[in-house]
Amino acid sequence: MDLTFSDSEAAFRDELRAWFEINDPGTMPTGDDAAYAWRRDWQRRLAEGGWAGVHWPREYGGRNATMTESAIFFEELGRARAPLPANVLGLLLAGPTIMTYGTDEQKERYLSPILTADEIWCQGFSEPDAGSDLAALKTKAVKDGDDWVITGQKVWTSGAQYSKWCMLVARTDLDVPKHKGLTYFLMDMEQEGVQIRPLVQITGEPEFNELFIEGARVPDENVLGGVGNGWRVALTTLMNERSGLAFFLQVRLRQLLDELIEEAAERGLLDDPVVADRIGYLHMKAEILRLTAYRGLTTIEKYGTPGPEGSLTKWMWSETNQELAQFAADLLGADALTTGNRWAYELLRSRGNTIEGGTTEILKNIVAERVLGLPRLKGAAA
Amino acid sequence: MNFDFTEDQQEIKKTARDLLSSRSSLAKVREAAEGKAYDPALWSELVELGWPGIAIAEEHGGQGLGAVELAILSEELGYALAASPFLATVTAAEAIGIAGTPEQQAQWLPLLASGEATGTIGSAGGLVPDADAAAVIVLIGEDGVARVLARAEAEVTPVDSIDPTRRAARVYAPPTHGEALGGDSAAAIDRATVVVAAELVGVAQRALEMTLAYVKDRRQFDTPVGAYQAVSHKCAQMLKDTEGARSATYFAAWAADAEPDRLPEAASLAKAAASDGGRDVTASAIQAHGGIGFTWEADVHWLYKRAQVDAALLGGSGTHRARLARLLAARLQPAAA
Ligand SMILES: Cc1cc2nc3c(=O)[nH]c(=O)nc-3n(C[C@H](O)[C@H](O)[C@H](O)COP(=O)(O)OP(=O)(O)OC[C@H]3O[C@@H](n4cnc5c(N)ncnc54)[C@H](O)[C@@H]3O)c2cc1C
Repeated sequence: MDLTFSDSEAAFRDELRAWFEINDPGTMPTGDDAAYAWRRDWQRRLAEGGWAGVHWPREYGGRNATMTESAIFFEELGRARAPLPANVLGLLLAGPTIMTYGTDEQKERYLSPILTADEIWCQGFSEPDAGSDLAALKTKAVKDGDDWVITGQKVWTSGAQYSKWCMLVARTDLDVPKHKGLTYFLMDMEQEGVQIRPLVQITGEPEFNELFIEGARVPDENVLGGVGNGWRVALTTLMNERSGLAFFLQVRLRQLLDELIEEAAERGLLDDPVVADRIGYLHMKAEILRLTAYRGLTTIEKYGTPGPEGSLTKWMWSETNQELAQFAADLLGADALTTGNRWAYELLRSRGNTIEGGTTEILKNIVAERVLGLPRLKGAAA
Repeated sequence: MNFDFTEDQQEIKKTARDLLSSRSSLAKVREAAEGKAYDPALWSELVELGWPGIAIAEEHGGQGLGAVELAILSEELGYALAASPFLATVTAAEAIGIAGTPEQQAQWLPLLASGEATGTIGSAGGLVPDADAAAVIVLIGEDGVARVLARAEAEVTPVDSIDPTRRAARVYAPPTHGEALGGDSAAAIDRATVVVAAELVGVAQRALEMTLAYVKDRRQFDTPVGAYQAVSHKCAQMLKDTEGARSATYFAAWAADAEPDRLPEAASLAKAAASDGGRDVTASAIQAHGGIGFTWEADVHWLYKRAQVDAALLGGSGTHRARLARLLAARLQPAAA
């Protein structure tokens, strides 16, 4: 056991810090579209510096970073108070999934524009009647010559309004059990057959959308991982979603907590035993998250497969983030309940954390069945 | 960055698990608890293996290994719920080893390392484990300063704690008795605290495993009860609590030797997490066992009782959360600290 960083890891961190110093991300402008354009520009700068996809292999424009270095990257990104790159779903979900299942032509065609944010990606998995039970999705794809014709509806599609491409899972075979009849497509969003309608979240922002897909065409060469193999490919995307962000989110949480402690200090509340108890509690939870995330990394680096820690970090993060926002409301009172205040925003936005990327209940099912080996209740798939 | 044990450390863990599963089975634990007597054969075996001295310096007759190795053993003894003066003795040795004067070290560490004598550490107001038989008692005063007392210098009143798998006593000593530790009492207590946290992790792990075995087997409404989400999600929570406490405890054990500057925070993190985790996990274990879990006959209650007493030993989670908040505040306003 050695919880210090190796010389090469420390050098990696130093190089990155030096880069952030020269390349100060600045402040994100207000307004959804302006903020998005700014994040897109930020990703271009990261890409130019060679920092957009540190965990990507060199041949695809990455740095071939180890998992620990990748964790360091997200820690430093958070520490520099930089936002996530605009194409986060491309970098963390679409890219790695294409690297795993893509043909050489697909890798050649799609990976580089993901890195530079020239082409933004969204994730078209959830549907009105298929959320936790993703495999129940109904969007249909029918072969027509060299194309597939897609019809159906997707929902909660984050960032669809900015996206060129969609990771789309659709049903290509109605006659086999539900997990077996799915296919994963790379769908061009810029076509008549795809209509996007913004959905306003409880924060008042239209971050996610409905997709109405009516006869959209996808050429056969845009099938990823083979016809009928969509469930496996989708699981790869989901695993990347739950693990890839852990370090960034962990550092974000840390920053929010530190800022809250500063606010408490400014108000002279640090000596209040109730406040101190809460701060001690949240600090403990934030540290447990950080340490458990690193333990998970060790397991993956040494044994190749995630250990039990891996399934726990998203659950820990989302729970703690909500507790933190709730404590801010207790601590700051009226300020934290006034629209426009950042804590008011956190109080609302954090409710999504235990739903997006798999609900906490589904994560518990996964832990119970796959980690603890408990029997599954009939019908309640994880 | 590597969170994994070395091969040697894994070997220690495996040896301990194997040995204790036969020498300290739950039947043996029950025998010790009900008979109110430790099995002397178990203690002599641990002594022969050199476990009490695992982290004591070689110059004092120990094995000279570190806090991580000690935490590994403590976790395994917790997992086995071993009835022995191990925890009390090694925590006293940790305190004297890091903060004792040269005389205190020369006087006590060889005796503790060889198992010729046992020791203990505890608070003046609290339950002190195994104080009745300890030759040396490290007693923490209300001011946080720890004194080293020979057994005869203290007034030791044995009490029946709720945990009959371990003996406990109230200890009083007039202020003129004994001699303060030469060095930093806080560091001494922190090192001992990590050992207790490690034991709690082992207790929680055992409670989780016993519960899993039970709920996979027990059927109601024609279904294994472990299939019900009220039960399976509780088990998932038990895993989360156990692993969280484990992350914090391993970090603290590592920091104790490698980065002692971080030990105050790490020890409090570990104890806060392990105290909460140990209590919650063992309480959930009773609940998930239903009526049988509430009987004297089933073994889950031993785990719950050990967790309750350990959780309070060297400060409960509330005490450690308050300390964490103080440490954070001091970091924010270094001048005021
Ligand atoms: C902010 C945000 C962004 C999102 N972005 C995207 C995106 O970009 N792309 C995308 O495809 N999706 C996205 N989603 C959708 C998200 O993945 C789903 O909302 C989520 O999987 C839950 O599905 P659902 O909404 O249909 O809820 P349901 O599945 O209907 O769940 C309702 C409730 O029942 C519980 N439940 C369901 N099944 C079980 C079970 N077996 N056991 C126990 N409890 C159960 C759930 O936990 C939940 O509490 C986003 C969601 C949010 C909140």
